[in-house]
Parts: sequence; C-alpha cells; structure tokens
Amino acid sequence: MSSDQQQAEIPPLTEGIAPGTATDPPVGSEAAATVTVDGTEVALDAGSTLLDALDRIETDDYVPALCHYGRQEIGPRSECRTCMVDTEEYGIVPACSFPARDGMTVRTAAREAAEARDVNLDLVLSDHNLRCTTCGKNGRCELQDASIENEVEEPRYGVLDDRDEYEPLDDSSPFIQIDRNKCILCNRCVESCNDVQVEGVLRIEGTGKDTRIGFQNGAETMDESTCVSCGHCVTVCPTGALVEKGIEDATTIPLPGFTQKNSIGKTYEHSTQAKAPMTPKKQDEQTETVDSESRTTDSETVDVDVWDDASGGGEWP
Amino acid sequence: MTSIIPNQKPVIRVSESGFRRSVPERGADQGVTVTAVGSTGLPAVEPLVTVTQAGETALYTQCSPADVEAIIDALEAAGGDVDDAADRAKKTPEAVVDHEPTATRLPTAGVPGLDTRARSVLGGCGWRRPTNPADYEAAAGFEPPDPEAVLELGASLRGRGWGDLCHDAPLAETWETVRGAAGSPVVVVNGHGTTADTLLLESAPFEVLDGAVALARTVEADSVIVYASAADDRAVDTVREAAANYPELPVGVDVVTGPPEYRAAEPTMALEAIEGNHRLEARLRPPGPEEVGLHGQPTLIHTPRTLAHLAVGLREGELPGTRLLTVTGDVDATATVELPADDTLADGLDAVDLNGRFKAARVGGRFGGLTSDLDVAVDPESLAAADLGTEGSVHVLAEDRCLVEFVGKTATFAAEENCGRCVPCREGTTQLAGLLRDIYDGSYAPEKIDELVRVMSTSSICEFGVQAGRPVRTALSEFEAEFEAHADGHCPAGSCLDPLEA
Ligand code: SF4
Repeated sequence: MSSDQQQAEIPPLTEGIAPGTATDPPVGSEAAATVTVDGTEVALDAGSTLLDALDRIETDDYVPALCHYGRQEIGPRSECRTCMVDTEEYGIVPACSFPARDGMTVRTAAREAAEARDVNLDLVLSDHNLRCTTCGKNGRCELQDASIENEVEEPRYGVLDDRDEYEPLDDSSPFIQIDRNKCILCNRCVESCNDVQVEGVLRIEGTGKDTRIGFQNGAETMDESTCVSCGHCVTVCPTGALVEKGIEDATTIPLPGFTQKNSIGKTYEHSTQAKAPMTPKKQDEQTETVDSESRTTDSETVDVDVWDDASGGGEWP
Repeated sequence: MTSIIPNQKPVIRVSESGFRRSVPERGADQGVTVTAVGSTGLPAVEPLVTVTQAGETALYTQCSPADVEAIIDALEAAGGDVDDAADRAKKTPEAVVDHEPTATRLPTAGVPGLDTRARSVLGGCGWRRPTNPADYEAAAGFEPPDPEAVLELGASLRGRGWGDLCHDAPLAETWETVRGAAGSPVVVVNGHGTTADTLLLESAPFEVLDGAVALARTVEADSVIVYASAADDRAVDTVREAAANYPELPVGVDVVTGPPEYRAAEPTMALEAIEGNHRLEARLRPPGPEEVGLHGQPTLIHTPRTLAHLAVGLREGELPGTRLLTVTGDVDATATVELPADDTLADGLDAVDLNGRFKAARVGGRFGGLTSDLDVAVDPESLAAADLGTEGSVHVLAEDRCLVEFVGKTATFAAEENCGRCVPCREGTTQLAGLLRDIYDGSYAPEKIDELVRVMSTSSICEFGVQAGRPVRTALSEFEAEFEAHADGHCPAGSCLDPLEA
C-alpha cells in the first residue's frame, strides 16, 4: 500500500480540523513601504513585517524572534515576544507580526524593547527543561542559539528543573518522541500538521500554565493519535520537544548512564510489537482489530498519576 | 401590547434581578396591573415593589412574596389610591414620590442607594417592562437614527475598558474606519461578564439594542450579534425576547453565548467564541477587528453600557455625562449605580453598607488598581491617571484583608485563566505569583517584580496580560510596607501567616 492510495481513501480533513488556535488577520503590510531601522532605510514589498526589515540589515541589538519560522506560510505565531522593538509611531511592538508601514522608524536598542526581549527569553527558559547534555538537539537548538547569542548567563527565573513538574516523555510512537518539557509552544508543529500536511493530528490545548501540544482525537499519547508519522512536525520544531526516534540521543554528551529518555523520569512507552514504518493510524483505528487490542495494552502501561496535577487556585500562599 | 407608562390606572411593579420569579402577573382588566420589571441594580432594596397611579408612586423595599400580595390587597381595598393603600398596607413604603404621570424613569427620590444624582441610562431599570416594546416606545425609543448624529455623539462617546475594541478611546474614528471598509460590517455587543452590562441586558435590553441598531445603520452593518456569558441565562433569555419583540428590526440580531471564563470577554476572544472555536485565545492585531474581524469582516465590538449611552444620547440630543459603577467586595450587597462622570468613587460607595472598616479597593475590573484613595472622579481619564482600571467597578477590601494575599491570589488567577498564547502573560503570571510567594520565604525583590510587570504590560498580545500585573504594581506603590512586613514573617492584617511563625 502506498501512502498515496491511503490518502485517496481518507475523506478530506480540512473541514474537521480543530487546531485550537485563533484565526489571526494577515499581518503583512498592505503596500510596499520604506522603513528606517536603527538609522538605515530599508525598502520592502507589500506583505512585509518589521522583522523582514530587521533581517536585511545589521541591527544595533540582537533580536532573537525565537518562535518565528517564516517559511511555508507557518506563523507568525508571535507568542514568545522576543522580537519586541521600539517604533516612533506605535511604541513597543512585536517585529515578527507588525506590518511594515511606510515611514516607520524602528529602534532595536531602545531600553524598554531590549528589556522586554531579555525578560521574555528568560520567561521561555523558566519553563524549559534545560537538560541540554542529554538532549538530541544539543548544538542545533534554536532556543540554545538564541540564549547564547543573547548572552543569557543566568536566566532571571531559573529553568524548569523540578522533577515533580515534568510532563512524562511520550516515547510511545515508533518514529517521533515528544518531550513537552522542552516545548516553547511556538505552534509550528501544529501549523505544519494542519495547514501544510492537512493531517489534523496536533493541536494546542489547555490554558494558562497548562497549555500544551495535544492531539485532536483526544489521545493521551502519540501512538494513540491519528499521526501518520510524516515527520513534518519534527523538522519545524525549534527545540528538542519533537525529535525523530533513533537520533534522540544523537548529540548527547556522553555521560555514563544518562540518556534523553531517563532525563525526565516518567515515560509513556509503546509496549507492543513494532509496527511497519509509516503506518497511518487513521486507517488502523477503523479497520484493524489487532491494533485496537494493542491500544488497550498500551493504556495499561501508562503511568497516569502524573496527570493529577492539582493546581490549587484559591490556596494562598 | 399596551404601555404602562401613562399610569392612569393603578400599576404595581415588582423589581428584582432574575425578573419574573415571584410575581402574580395581572392585566389592567383586573383593575390593578401587576407586572414584573427588571432589577434596579440595587439588589439590597429588592424585591422592590412600586405602586403607581396618576403621577404618584410609593416604593416598598425588600418585599417578600407575602408582602407583594398584601400590597396588592391594600391597593384594591383602597380603590387604587396610592396614599390610602400605603396607610392600609402592613408594610411602610420607603418613600412616596410625586412625578409626571408619563414618567419614563423610575422615581427614586428618598430611597437610599437608588437616589444618586443621575439615573438616565439606568432610568428604565425597575420601571419599564424589559421586553415590552410599548413601554420603550412610550419612552421615545425606536426612533430611526440619523447617522450624522450617531457619528457626532461617537466623537465623545468612549469605550468601557476591557470588553471594548477601543478600550477607553472615543469611538467615532473607528466607526468611520468600519463605514469605509470593504465587506459587510458586523456590530458585536459584548455583554460578557461585567455586572453593569448584565444588568442592562436583563433590565433595559431595548436601550442596548437601540444603540446597537443605530450604530449598525450608521456603519451599514448587516448584522448585530449580542454576545454574553452562557452563565448569565436571564440576561441571554431577556435580550433574546427583546430582539424578537423589537418592532421592524432593520438588521438581523443574533444572541450568541460564550463560555463563562473571564478571558472570554476579551474582544478578539469574543470573536473566536462567536465563530465557534472550542478553545479561546486572543488574535494578533493590527489589523484589528475594525478591519478584519468576525469571519474576516470589519467588526465593531462595544459593551452594552456604551451602546445604551448612545441610545439615550440620540434621544436626548446629547450624551448623558454619566458612568455606571458596580460596587462589590466587602459590602452588604453588590450595587450598580449611575454617577455623573465628575462624581468620585467615594460617591459610589454611598450606595452600599460596608462590612467592616474600609481599607482599600481594587478599582476597575479583575485586574484593576489598588488604592485607599477613593477621591478620584469616575471618568476614564481621572481613573487612568491614578493607574486605576476603567471597567466601572470598585471591589472593596475591609480592614482585615491582607493585600499581599489579595494580589497573590489575583496573580494565581491570572496564571490559571490566561489563554496560554503569549509568553509574557502565560509564563509571566506564573513567575509573578512565584515572586509573591517567595516573599513568604523572606525574599522580597521589588525591582524584579517591577521589571516583570512592566514587560507583561509592554509586550502581551491582549489586555489580559497588559493589565494582569496592575493589582501588584499599584499595591506595591501604595502599600509596600505590607510586602516588607511579610518578608519579615509578619502579616499586618493577621490573615495569611500563622502568628506562631511571625
Ligand atoms: S496576554 Fe494572556 S490572555 Fe492575552 S494573548 Fe497573551 S496569554 Fe493570552
């Protein structure tokens, strides 16, 4: 069975796709514009953002724009707010999602903008499992690059290193490993899955500090989702949150006994026989009884107590 | 349907929130008309029974269903004479007021709390039957608006903070943008979550609809959508019924509900809810909803308060220079009153009895500013200058309240209830709650808190994150000693640290 044939049998999915994200307006400029960034004039086509202007020149200050992807129509999500710049006309704005309007004057080194970028990058780190030494993306991680370039020495709010707070590693899929403790919620994977691949597997779910990447079919694990293992989400992930199986330890600094998998402590395992590559689970769910049996087995091995994350709202302190 | 406004025959009105709970309705054919009207905004005096005939009204406060029956009986025995009925009733009226027989607003003289200096937008509350078009027509409603007059009033009419697309800015410029935009404009009435807005939808829905319809016609909108919290069923049912009864509606009106969560009132999250998204998060802007809004169409989003002010302004030729203020917290009962814009927050407190001695108040919404000084006018500029919110609420905190605990809980609420989209709000609120918790372990870092709150307000996507740090910021500027005391292991209010630890 080729995957093309599979596709033909699956009804079009765009209708039912529910990524859990807002419908943003188009944020590019309506017309061609010339803007001045740190004293340099930059001419831009229609559809440009301020970040397009920043990219063209050597800016006074480093602007991480961490969550920005800028390819394949993915983003701007504008969630990390590490691209804040000062403008004479509109005050402090996010460069990645602000239309480049003619005549705007942008300063990257303005104190409050720089402060916002620094604080927001530290806030990203505050919720990031910084176990780089056991991470398969060590050395090719956009968060690591941004932190080095931004000269982060000691993040203001520390890093996520309270083991009790860790989400279990999802190692259930034979092809893709998810470590949500490294997720910065840039939404690139959700967009690649829904808008580019039109698979409708991944979504954003939850609110506040419980916001996370989840599955549109409500599954707890990748293996129980409708993932077709195309791997697009892995290619767009800026950090070690989504990693191809087999290379999850590729860039790990060898420390005896330490691996990416045991860095978290809790793991969702895939406990059944290995599946052939590229098995579309959507089909399996409807047709293969073997698979539904194996799902039952899976759910028994899941370490569920960690989901009991009581977040006592009314209690203080 | 006939109007009860010109009261040549005796009329008994029963006013309470959740209207129609306990009223034995009767028509004029039975001699005395008995009817339910909406809340006045002052639950402390309700159920309020008013007995009216020929320009005279007796007001009976806090009536039980038995009182209501007794008042009806007394009026019948008195042959419809208001004074005589007052003598016969076992209950003493709070006041008996003379007025024009065609009065379109509740006569309030002599009833503490109701007796504020202004009652124009709230005037129909507790007087006109909320969904009865005849009563509203008698109050000169349903007049087709002149778009020029609408735009003229819009030059000085302002939004009401949090729930309004324009926050506190005058509205006309945004209206002109929508009027000139391509596409089919939509007017969204954002009645989600604010007490005064719920009151208007429940007690004076025609004021709100009239304002929305006038605005829709001015910007050539095809559709008005009234959006409210699914938890406010009474308001939802009432405005639905009013829309169905609205004579010859010139635009389509739909009533749509969203989840009751606080964030769901944020204007772009309101649009997401109306579009049916199962998960609400804020949209990026610019371009804002006035250009790309509901289903991509140019969209205005204003609160019922703003639209009711517009409706009254159109009738009277000028805007009522008033603001609605809801007083809640450590008070006997929540009260919503209307004040001239130059009255102060302290004047609003006259409508309530405090539980305990006043210490401070959180002014202007869930993320309002904390202050002990209520000598601030209720107009948006004065409030903003004092770093207070403009949402029209005062949450009173009595002497025994600990402000560190109060702002700590607000920060925790923000950390749990934000939409989860942007880092300064999603992660910032969690860190803010953490920095406040650290104070209890003796580590108090005011510069760190200031810096974080500043970044949340300069870089969050929506007003939720922009405002979420305000309670902490304002508490630090006025009540810093309380924070320092906690770092030393002592809670001055004695409420949140075990005295043994101190
Ligand atoms: S400010 Fe808060 S509520 Fe608003 S978009 Fe950001 S995370 Fe969501």
